[in-house]
Amino acid sequence: MIEDLKQTFLEELKSVKNLADLSNIKVKYLGKKGIVTSELKSLPKVPPEERPSYGKKINEIKQFIETELDLQESRLKQEELKKQLLSESLDITLNGKFIPFGKEHPINKVLSEITDIFVKMGFSVEEGPEVELDYYNFEALNIPKDHPARDMQDTFYISDDIVLRTHTSPVQVRVMEKRKPPVRFIAPGKVYRCDADITHTPMFHQVEGLMVDRGITFSNLKGVLVAFLHQMFGADTLVRFRPSFFPFTEPSAEVDIGCILCNGTGCRVCKGSGWLEILGAGMVNPKVFEYVGYDPEEYSGFAFGMGIERIAMLKYSIDDIRLFFENDIRFLRQF
Amino acid sequence: MRVPFEWLKEFIDINESHHEVAHRLTMIGLEVEAVEQVDSDVVFEVNVTPNRPDCLSIIGIARELSALYKTPVVFPEHDVLAETGELDFNVDIADAELCHRYAGRVVRNLKIGHSPEWLRKRLEKCSIRSINNIVDVTNYVLLELGHPLHAFDLKTIKGCRIIVGTPNRVKGQGTRIKFKTLDSIEREIPEESLLIWDAERPIAIAGVMGGMETEVSDSTVDIFIESAYFEPVSVRRTSKAIGLKTESSYRFERGTDIKMLKKALDRAAYLMKEVAGGTICGKIDIYPKRYKPDEISVRYNKVNETLGLKLTKQEITDCLDGLGFEMKKLANSLKIKPPAYRRDIKREIDIIEEVARIYGYDKIPAQLPRATIGIESPEDRKSGSAKVKNDIKQALLKSGFTEVINYSFMGMQDIDLLGIGEYDERRNLVQIKNPLKTEDSFMRTTLIPSFIKNLVQNLSHGNRELRLFEIARVFISQKSEVSSQEAVALSHCRTECSLPVEREHLAAIYYKEKSKALYRDDTPDFYIIKGVIEAILNNLRIYDYSFVRSSEPFLHPGQSADIFIGSRLPVASSQSVKAGYVGALSPAIMDSLDIKAHKPSVIVMEIDIDRIIPYAMQVVKYRPLPRYPYIERDTAIVVDSLLEAAMLMKWLKSYPSDLIEDIYIFDVYQGKNIPEGKKSIAFNVRYRASDRTLKDDEIDSLHKSLVDYILDKTKGQLRT
Ligand SMILES: [Zn+2]
Repeated sequence: MIEDLKQTFLEELKSVKNLADLSNIKVKYLGKKGIVTSELKSLPKVPPEERPSYGKKINEIKQFIETELDLQESRLKQEELKKQLLSESLDITLNGKFIPFGKEHPINKVLSEITDIFVKMGFSVEEGPEVELDYYNFEALNIPKDHPARDMQDTFYISDDIVLRTHTSPVQVRVMEKRKPPVRFIAPGKVYRCDADITHTPMFHQVEGLMVDRGITFSNLKGVLVAFLHQMFGADTLVRFRPSFFPFTEPSAEVDIGCILCNGTGCRVCKGSGWLEILGAGMVNPKVFEYVGYDPEEYSGFAFGMGIERIAMLKYSIDDIRLFFENDIRFLRQF
Repeated sequence: MRVPFEWLKEFIDINESHHEVAHRLTMIGLEVEAVEQVDSDVVFEVNVTPNRPDCLSIIGIARELSALYKTPVVFPEHDVLAETGELDFNVDIADAELCHRYAGRVVRNLKIGHSPEWLRKRLEKCSIRSINNIVDVTNYVLLELGHPLHAFDLKTIKGCRIIVGTPNRVKGQGTRIKFKTLDSIEREIPEESLLIWDAERPIAIAGVMGGMETEVSDSTVDIFIESAYFEPVSVRRTSKAIGLKTESSYRFERGTDIKMLKKALDRAAYLMKEVAGGTICGKIDIYPKRYKPDEISVRYNKVNETLGLKLTKQEITDCLDGLGFEMKKLANSLKIKPPAYRRDIKREIDIIEEVARIYGYDKIPAQLPRATIGIESPEDRKSGSAKVKNDIKQALLKSGFTEVINYSFMGMQDIDLLGIGEYDERRNLVQIKNPLKTEDSFMRTTLIPSFIKNLVQNLSHGNRELRLFEIARVFISQKSEVSSQEAVALSHCRTECSLPVEREHLAAIYYKEKSKALYRDDTPDFYIIKGVIEAILNNLRIYDYSFVRSSEPFLHPGQSADIFIGSRLPVASSQSVKAGYVGALSPAIMDSLDIKAHKPSVIVMEIDIDRIIPYAMQVVKYRPLPRYPYIERDTAIVVDSLLEAAMLMKWLKSYPSDLIEDIYIFDVYQGKNIPEGKKSIAFNVRYRASDRTLKDDEIDSLHKSLVDYILDKTKGQLRT
């Protein structure tokens, strides 16, 4: 009878489908009134000589049942967990929820790139007003009233003495008025000219640069600008300097780079010349030093300026400057 | 300036190809912008900078090449054999300051007609239309020698007399003159403009354009050719004042060659005889203000110091040879007198530039400077502001906002649309006198109008979501009320003070289509943007701020707030300044916009960055991490539905206990089980002591008294 117990238990265990069934079996065999427990309780009724071996047998069975039940329990638990996890499964191919990072405006992107290069070369960053006195925008830069050089820039006027700055060059004068040499800075910012077509917008961006110290030469001007252009456009970029005219620098130079679109063979963008005008520069005109009270016999320096839109257009092959200020998100997201 | 290569070669012997010549010209500062093939010839399009009027002619370009190639210039033929002495013509220069020299010549018995082909062709190549043989010759000489001439019909000049003077001088102060120019437009002439008069009336605007009545016509037989030097500034002022620019005025205002003037006159007479069969008669030449160049001293070492070269004296003078300079060589310097056609050469630096130009910029080595090492010291505020701006920008980019750059302009209609009040400083507008469009007549005083345009444009492309921001300046005009005494004392400051205030603003716009979203998030849009602002402020370590219900006229009154910095009190106070606002655009604004689809809820914000910078400069200081555990308690209370969260927080925080570490609101509920006009607010309080572990019963009683305190303040009840 007691041998059959093991067999019956194993039969019943087979029919167990879940933890509830298992718990029923556990009660049936090991509960207070369970079969095994009753057997143990009835032990005193067993003849004394059979008692030790009988007791041992029951205990063995009890242990056997306990072990089997534990095993079965952990197996069932595993299964149930599996089922539960399966029911919690997601379609992992659906899109994640995220907000795409915003994009910096391409003009500011190029501007930061330029700024970083000059900051590494020890230039600081300065600012000046966008609504500027005629004095700083023209006079102190050696562009007197009634001078044909004023025709080089179509000016927005606020009053006879106040203009929207037509270039970032007035920052040169403002900084030199405030500080003694050496000075070395760039001044990025918005500038304005009353002109609008596919290559001109009434507002655009420039970066101005100035370096004044003892013993600064035209050769240094070339050194710094070549270093900058090589950083900006690649170390094998061709650079050429040719004479030009700006009233506030002398000698003045126009700086070209070998066309980055056709590698100098000539294309529509470089008008077949193989060169792209990228910078204006020159040695600070002694006249400007006189305006700010620097002694041109003691100090010399160079200044340069460049248009950011033009560089951005070249860099991203954009052929209409107006796109920069239409702020169409489909355009802006591309950068 | 268009330069036919074949014409150029008449004056200088060039063996190089036109490609090479174009390159050489570019590299000495005469940029050849285009090379055009015309028949068997090529034409250079040369960009002549304003300082080099001497190069606005074929001979001028030839002179430059001559200096480069060290080959002489051959001047054109113009033998005037029949010089019949002085002219019985009375020329008077009344304003010698404005007319330094005046010459003229009479040519008689001309046959006015078409020009010969060679003449027409050349003019054509230079984009000048042929008119008749006389006018064509004056234009031809203008192109060839760079000197403007004017031909009058001799018989129309009254009284054999010419006077050169301003209306002020000739007719007396304040005389107003009306004058019909060649283009048959009657023009009002300023009283200080230089005119050419005959015995009775003005016959030309000096250096700008001749008069209708003395024009050479088909019936003209005898002519008077004028060749003069007019003072550049005077010509420029006149040309600007009457709004008339001509080939002549263009050259005169840049400066002509006072010595070429007679050559040009003779050359024209000679050519007229050639093409119109005239007889060259006498001439007159009045030259009251002689050209006397100053001697310029050029130090050899200054040349090298400026350019960073080590040129010998010989190399320097070699560069300058051929530029027409009168040179005296001294031991350490050169004494130079420039020719009359180089009035741009006045100082040592001008000569140094000439050396560099002829030596070749490309031969100057590129060397990095040996700079003084040191940190450039911009004022702290400035560098701080750049950092703050960058921090804000990065925060917005990471929050999904894309940067825009709008024009700095706006129109009165924009300010009116926003309903900005009469005394609001955003109406202190900076007006542009010559805007491109009337709707762009003012500088922006707020960035929102631009964003409204960005919104309309982008919605029309069917964007489901829009997050844009811009950091840009606004311009507030200053009403300067300086007394005249102060103005005299501080004249420089006065002009400086008349500049508008420029302030850096941040603005952003947010819109999201809610109906088609894969994952629902029903946070009201207002809180999304408010959250961005709070994140920005916290990132800048600004904690003293508050949001106060806004009265901006263009925002939804129930969904907008003004941002105050400087105090945490949820009201405008004396310690705080308004730094901006955030809110939904008002339904009235939305209705006025050209948006076809349904009108979305659009949140905008604008912050004056310059106003928040002073609060952002806090130094980071480490605080030790807490060593003892915290205890939390949650409580929900039922209060009047109009009670704002900020007020509740203010009261909670006013409860005097050192053990309160943090309080936050985690639920606001109105609806079922809450009486009409009431709402439930649930908050969490975290308690912690810095020196011991708190006990539950201690916190139970502390929390209870906090709750009692707040129920008393809010006149609320515990939610059960
Ligand atoms: Zn190219």
